[in-house]
Amino acid sequence: MLDATIRKKLRDFSLDLTIRARPGEILVLMGENGAGKSTALNIISGLVSPDAGLIELNGSGLFNSGTQIDVPVENRRIGYVLQNSAVFPHLSVRDNIAFGLRARHTSPVLIRERVGHWLKALNIEDLAPVRAGNLSGGQKQRVALARALAIEPALLMLDEPFTALDPDTTRLVKELTRTFVTETSIPCLVVTHRVTDSRDVGDKVCVICQGKKEWEGKPEDTPTCMCHCEDR
Amino acid sequence: MSPVPIFSEKTRRTITGIGAAILVASVTLYLALPVIALFFRTTPELFFSTLSTPEVISALYLSLFTSVVSLGVVILIGTPFAYVHCRNEYPGKMIIDTLIDLPLVLPPAVAGVALLVLWGRTGMLGHYLSLSGISVAFTTLAVIMAQIFVASPFYLRQAKSLFEQLDPAYEQTARTLGASPLRIFALITLPLTANGLISGAVMTFGRALGEFGATIMFAGNLPGVTQTMPLAVYVGMEGNFVVGITISILLVLISFAIMIAVRLLARRETFHA
Amino acid sequence: MNQSFSTKQIIVTGIVCGLLVLTAFFAGCASSAPAQPVTPAATQAPQTTPQAAGTTAATATPPKPVYTPSSGNIVAFTAASLKGVSTRLASDFEQKYPGEKVVFNLDGTQALKTQVQNGAYADVFISASNSYTAELTKGGYFVNGTVKPLTSNYVIVILPANNPANIQSLADLAKPGVKIAMEDKTVPAGTATVAVLANLANSTYSQDWNTSVFKNVVTYETSEPGVATKVGLGEVDAGFVYESTYTAAPNGTYLAISIPKKDNYLQTYTIGVLNESASQSAASDFENFMLSDSGQQDLKDYGFRPLSSS
Repeated sequence: MLDATIRKKLRDFSLDLTIRARPGEILVLMGENGAGKSTALNIISGLVSPDAGLIELNGSGLFNSGTQIDVPVENRRIGYVLQNSAVFPHLSVRDNIAFGLRARHTSPVLIRERVGHWLKALNIEDLAPVRAGNLSGGQKQRVALARALAIEPALLMLDEPFTALDPDTTRLVKELTRTFVTETSIPCLVVTHRVTDSRDVGDKVCVICQGKKEWEGKPEDTPTCMCHCEDR
Repeated sequence: MSPVPIFSEKTRRTITGIGAAILVASVTLYLALPVIALFFRTTPELFFSTLSTPEVISALYLSLFTSVVSLGVVILIGTPFAYVHCRNEYPGKMIIDTLIDLPLVLPPAVAGVALLVLWGRTGMLGHYLSLSGISVAFTTLAVIMAQIFVASPFYLRQAKSLFEQLDPAYEQTARTLGASPLRIFALITLPLTANGLISGAVMTFGRALGEFGATIMFAGNLPGVTQTMPLAVYVGMEGNFVVGITISILLVLISFAIMIAVRLLARRETFHA
Repeated sequence: MNQSFSTKQIIVTGIVCGLLVLTAFFAGCASSAPAQPVTPAATQAPQTTPQAAGTTAATATPPKPVYTPSSGNIVAFTAASLKGVSTRLASDFEQKYPGEKVVFNLDGTQALKTQVQNGAYADVFISASNSYTAELTKGGYFVNGTVKPLTSNYVIVILPANNPANIQSLADLAKPGVKIAMEDKTVPAGTATVAVLANLANSTYSQDWNTSVFKNVVTYETSEPGVATKVGLGEVDAGFVYESTYTAAPNGTYLAISIPKKDNYLQTYTIGVLNESASQSAASDFENFMLSDSGQQDLKDYGFRPLSSS
């Protein structure tokens, strides 16, 4: 269960959000560009510190401005796939996926097993020895997802994960995300701007405008006009 | 009614072509001819026989030894320094930024004088060192210190620029995956900036190898101890002309060797960061 | 655009190749081995930077200089040891010869000689070394009959005022750990020092003493004032310089140990007017001034020894 209340003053507006995602639930964040969605993910991951707030994951506090808790990024066990995948271009696909496991000093046997599992699940087995810098955008995205899932995160966050993918791969990734989140019962945040994506993969949708939550509800009920609408 | 051009398209192209050719030729020749002229001023027999004189051998060995040591120090200390400097905000960061560039604009002779009045026997700090029996000026150590002082900006600026321009997404992702700062630096940052760092190192080595003004002021001129190749060229050209030419050619050959080695190294790996 | 590329390439290659061929041709004509005389090219940079030395043996025609000052001003290439007295000489000369000015280029004689041989412009040359004077004379650089002895100088040992190594005699120079500064052997003062040490070793101290002294040398400076500076800074324990440097320095700057005259080396300075001078009359005026009572007195005031007979 993710329970995050965050406040941060940004350049043009103030971010003031409460985000809740239950175990096994995929929460889709939508809204105009620059509304603060990616910043929210950065804050939850720990890469950016909020001015004030409370972030709790499965009961343990990751951040608490009141009691001065601020768990460092490295220890939050959050799988975070950034917008342009950021695969390590100089490492092989295999080494990319294994990176987090090696950083946590996992045993080589276990590493081999887990990496093998995710190579298969994302259909990138034959790319295993290829240097990641030479892959196509869609392939990189799959590697980045495998890399994030391999560390068995307690929370999964995907920032615009479908933009570089072809329709088949998009379907694969959506199915995988859905299955993984359900099976492991972790919460998941997905940032996207396409309503079709939110309908395919989301359990709940949050519309964010100018740093505030404008609307929350079921994907099929998402209003067509999201931000700066006349009648709200 | 459209204006009629004076020259035809083809003539204009030819004139531009000739102009460009002259431009390229003059720059190339301005740089290449002096170097070529060196080679024509001696004979292979004379070159090789002078090469084996103790003067030349000791200058060669001393230059290579000190330049390699200087480069090593700059890389070992400068790389983590540049990284920490870039990734953190701290009071006085802007001042340090400026200080890093200082040796670039400071005339080398001034650098030598400054080093002397600090580290020399009667110098601000050197005074205390000499009381403990440690002398710095007029030693090989002084040569290395002078080289480090004048050459380090070449590496530090390059490293700073590389670390600053590296897409932060890589390091950030690595952090979310649980990697410690040291692991990130060693496995992510360094490999992705290696090419640029190497070229910075090459420039640093070249500058250290060619250092003259600060060396002669702070380290003095003693064959085998502080008489590096540039000093030997200077002294040689006023007395033993053949030695001067020989060492000059030697320096040219070493420079070319370095540049070729670097090109080969850089071609091995290309990343789009 | 692509068409003109190949034309451009051809032209570039052609020009580069052509110029390289021309270069090789001229280089081959000019010299194949250092034993051949070299005619330096017409355009050279003025004074200050040392350049490739022309070879010594054969006669070379002095080149046409590019920079010539106006008729009343002259440039004097002067041995560095005259640095202290040069200001006085300049003002006294201008007083005696109104309308004429002298500019001194002070550097090691070896450096100045090299510059002149490579086309640097000067009207007058004051040398601290007879052999360098002879070299220039043989090269035809001087106006006939103008080369005259000017003054002389003995070698002396100077110490920093606080005598950090407690040197009381010449024998102490061989003590282990003493730091000595000397001129490089290409500098006239350096040759003089080497001769002095050899004399002292033969007459009084031993060859071992001589060897030990050289072991104590920490730097071979490229000019005589360079040695004085290192001693003045206290960075070395002793230095070999000319007596004039010691005498002209303010009282208390250095301590000194004199060298017995019989072992000492009397450096003779010469002055001469250069053929390339465009102000021959002003140059002769300057030479006459230097040889006159006025010039000689100035030199004497700054520690130079007048020649016993001129």
